[in-house]
Amino acid sequence: MSLFQRRPGLLPYLLLAPGLLFLLLFFALPLYYMARTSLETGTLFTGYQFDWHFETYTDAIKNYHEQFIRSFVYAGAATLIALAIGYPLAYAIALRGGKWKNALLLLVILPFFVTYLIRTLSWETILADNGVVVDTLKAIGLLGDDGRILATSGAVIAGITYNFLPFMILPLYASLERIDPRMLEAGYDLYGTRRAVFTRVTLPLSMPGVVAGVLLTFIPAAGDFINAELLGTPRQTMIGNVIQSRYLELSDYATAAALSFMLMAVILVMVLAWAKIAGTESLLGAEAR
Amino acid sequence: MSNSSEWDIERAIDAMSAAALDRRTLLKGTAAGALSLGLAGFLAACGSDSGGGSAKVIPKGEIAKNMTFSNWELYIDVEGKKHPTLDQFQDKYGTKVKYVEEITDNVEFFGKVRQQYASGSSGGRDLHVVTDWMCNRMKQLGYVQKLDKSAMPNVVNNIEDAVASPAFDPKREFSVPWQTGQVLLIYRKDLTGGDLTSINDLFDPKFKGKVTMLTEMRDTVGSVLLGEGIKPEGASKDQVMEAIDKIEKASRDGQIRKFTGNEYTSDVARGDSAAILGWSGDAPQMAADNKNVGYKQPEEGFMVFTDSMQIPVGAPHAFTAEKFMDFVYDPKIMVQITDWVQYVPPVKGVRQELEKLDPDLLDNPLVFPDKAKAHNFKQFSAEDEADIDAAFQRAIGA
Repeated sequence: MSLFQRRPGLLPYLLLAPGLLFLLLFFALPLYYMARTSLETGTLFTGYQFDWHFETYTDAIKNYHEQFIRSFVYAGAATLIALAIGYPLAYAIALRGGKWKNALLLLVILPFFVTYLIRTLSWETILADNGVVVDTLKAIGLLGDDGRILATSGAVIAGITYNFLPFMILPLYASLERIDPRMLEAGYDLYGTRRAVFTRVTLPLSMPGVVAGVLLTFIPAAGDFINAELLGTPRQTMIGNVIQSRYLELSDYATAAALSFMLMAVILVMVLAWAKIAGTESLLGAEAR
Repeated sequence: MSNSSEWDIERAIDAMSAAALDRRTLLKGTAAGALSLGLAGFLAACGSDSGGGSAKVIPKGEIAKNMTFSNWELYIDVEGKKHPTLDQFQDKYGTKVKYVEEITDNVEFFGKVRQQYASGSSGGRDLHVVTDWMCNRMKQLGYVQKLDKSAMPNVVNNIEDAVASPAFDPKREFSVPWQTGQVLLIYRKDLTGGDLTSINDLFDPKFKGKVTMLTEMRDTVGSVLLGEGIKPEGASKDQVMEAIDKIEKASRDGQIRKFTGNEYTSDVARGDSAAILGWSGDAPQMAADNKNVGYKQPEEGFMVFTDSMQIPVGAPHAFTAEKFMDFVYDPKIMVQITDWVQYVPPVKGVRQELEKLDPDLLDNPLVFPDKAKAHNFKQFSAEDEADIDAAFQRAIGA
């Protein structure tokens, strides 16, 4: 006690210490090892040496740019679809849900009590070539006789969208729910049309939710590999699959580390660009009041 | 003895890889948290001293009350919810076997256990079963223990000549064969409109998008080589690379839907795939479950593979595991496994036992194949093998 009375400047650092230690141990240190690993050469049998081997990065780009681009296209598409589905849903629950609000929210989360893997495996069955969905689409002529859904890009994007949808809905709901209804009433009082009130009051006020939802969906989606593995084919391979196979199956740790680094860098650049557009307050989830 | 120089080399390799692996185990526990190892893994990695195998044979000891056996799916006899072979082992020795079906793919299993084995822990496993080429890798890295053959008279006396002395383990001191299998054509007659006869049928545009092949490189590439009229035992590296190109092209064109491990059984059952490469033990089971499923040895010949039991380093009940290996090398025990899994038994005398138990199987080419048509993959140098593996992983999209 007396120590802090004499040197009050010390207390904030002491309070920060657990957090800083955590970051050091579980963020900075692993990053250092990953950077080091990415510059090593060698094989499982001869051992690995650190020798500033930057070619690993250029080789990785040359060999895997296709999977990189595909990951961002799939993640982007899934994020947009999740936003298109999630926004109206969150809006309805938050502003029209009434006493059912909590029950409806529970329904959104309920399927996610089942593990990720089982949910994705179920989609494999639902979308099977001789399954209900494909048969129905064929019957109404939306899909050709040879058509299929499973093992296409569509199936992978659908799987990602489904699996990350709650990460979009929940932040949207949180920001929509916090909107003071009197703001909307004021808008109508000032002769705003429904559209004008939505675009000029509701939407701007819900932007923190949109930004948070987009980030929470896009970032994990870009690194996902389960959906591509189970619902796709080698033509739908994402960068996560490559990293997984390089690391676990080929013991090619350098390439896996280099790819992980580049994935992180690209996502970071995208997040910064998004922050520039959307504003840092909304990025941090602070309310734009 | 020539043995000692061989051991010096292996120790050198162990030491080198163990030093490198130390840093790596640390990395895996921290940076790759996404790969599902948490704090415990991190601490374990920090505390691990360099592991690796020891040249000493497993000492004789007491038979333990329990042991753990890691195996592939559908790879032992089943009766209701029980495994008669394991129950009989318990009756004889009082050892309860914890049987874990955790292996679906050699490389995947290797990825899963590598860190544990490298740090000298078996993760509780006393026995695992992997394909011989992987047995070789496990041995080279010092991840498995040297067996005391004097404790295993049945293995010494009853092992089939065909699998008794592979190049990588001429005296079978690090691996004891579990079953030998074949790579077959498996198909849905209702979807293909008839029987398949040739490996090249898999490249027939009629079956576009309905074909799957195996993630097991030797099985898939070997079969495609046979389709090209090339004997895989004598194939050059260029020929292997050409076969991989052919597979990659078929995959890009959408002819091949995907590459699978054991999970092809559910794909075929659902009708998502109709013409595939699969393993001989699964085929009769699939045909029994669905009358539309057919299977055949390809007319060009077929790939065979031998899966063997090994005792990993740090196995808590190594001596008991040896006793178990010896136990299943009694033809009276192996016959009940053969009767159920329908793979080629590695034990002499099973044929005679089958005459009593299930004479129908005697004519079954899956259990007693025509040896002239059976082919093995060539053992390339470690460097060539790494190139081939990398090319194949690229071809299958990973």
